[in-house]
Amino acid sequence: MTRLRIPWTLVLLTLAATLAVAGGIAVGGEATLEDLARTQTVPSAAAGLLGPITESGRTGWECAPERAARARTAHAAGLPASTP
Amino acid sequence: MLRRLLCALVLAGLSAGAAWAQGYPAPASVPRTTDPARLRAQALDREIHERFSRGLAAEAREDWSAAIPEFERIIVLDPPEPRGSTARYDLAIARARSGDFPHAITLLEAALERDPGFTAAAANLVTVNTLAGNLDAARAAADRFVALAPASARARYERGIIALRAGDLATARSDFRVLIAGDPAYAVAHYDLALVEIRSEAFPAAELELESALALAPAYARARFALGTVLLRLGRRADARTAFDRAAQDASDLALRALALDLRDRL
Repeated sequence: MTRLRIPWTLVLLTLAATLAVAGGIAVGGEATLEDLARTQTVPSAAAGLLGPITESGRTGWECAPERAARARTAHAAGLPASTP
Repeated sequence: MLRRLLCALVLAGLSAGAAWAQGYPAPASVPRTTDPARLRAQALDREIHERFSRGLAAEAREDWSAAIPEFERIIVLDPPEPRGSTARYDLAIARARSGDFPHAITLLEAALERDPGFTAAAANLVTVNTLAGNLDAARAAADRFVALAPASARARYERGIIALRAGDLATARSDFRVLIAGDPAYAVAHYDLALVEIRSEAFPAAELELESALALAPAYARARFALGTVLLRLGRRADARTAFDRAAQDASDLALRALALDLRDRL
């Protein structure tokens, strides 16, 4: 009957290598997670076109597109809303 | 005899009242001249008026191919301001809606040349350049728009978005701050300012802006998702997980929802 000799040095080296690889994968995975998240943090949509103006629309102050272009609030300016 | 007279008076009164109540459209003014030059000018004026009516009616029903020739004809007739620049502006809308961005840009530039204070044309020039993918031209148009109307929410928003996309974080930050100062309740401006702070790696400042956006609009999924990414960068994984979970619940955008769920499950 032959006795099985365990090469402890080899076992330890293999274990260390496995841990290193697993750690590397974990660190790499974390970076990918953040990169993935960053892809969806995009600026909000551009503003749409302002509408047509009638023949006499720009005479006086009742021109809706001119008022929207100069408005100080987002709602009056027709800017995009915070849709879910 | 008296009865007949009374009947006749009543009938005459009724017919006069009916005629008075009838709603005729405003008639065109009758030419009060025989001078050929003045008659021609009046005819052209009438044609311009009619073509504006028809062009705008076509735009209202989104029939761009019908609107285009009406405004083109007005431009050929060359009416005085503000009708000349207005016709170019209206034609630019029809061109842009048809996907003809180069012509729309030329028309809006011509409208601004005729009337440099035409703010709606300045605004649409930014939008059309953005739609056409001309980011440098869009930025130049946005600078012009801001110079024309520094307190305009649209001017600050448009330039802020273009600057953010181009990586000009200082301009984007400045524009979104002005926008927020003028309209603190606009959640989208807080979100965009948070993106500026994320790209500047100022994560605590970004977190504050996102919290402001979400206080104003709790179901704003994209802001909630961005908050998750900020919390992840700050090492607060449990809070990030909660944020991604809520973003997934609120998101109507399927891609955003799938990504939020994926990130939540990986944490």
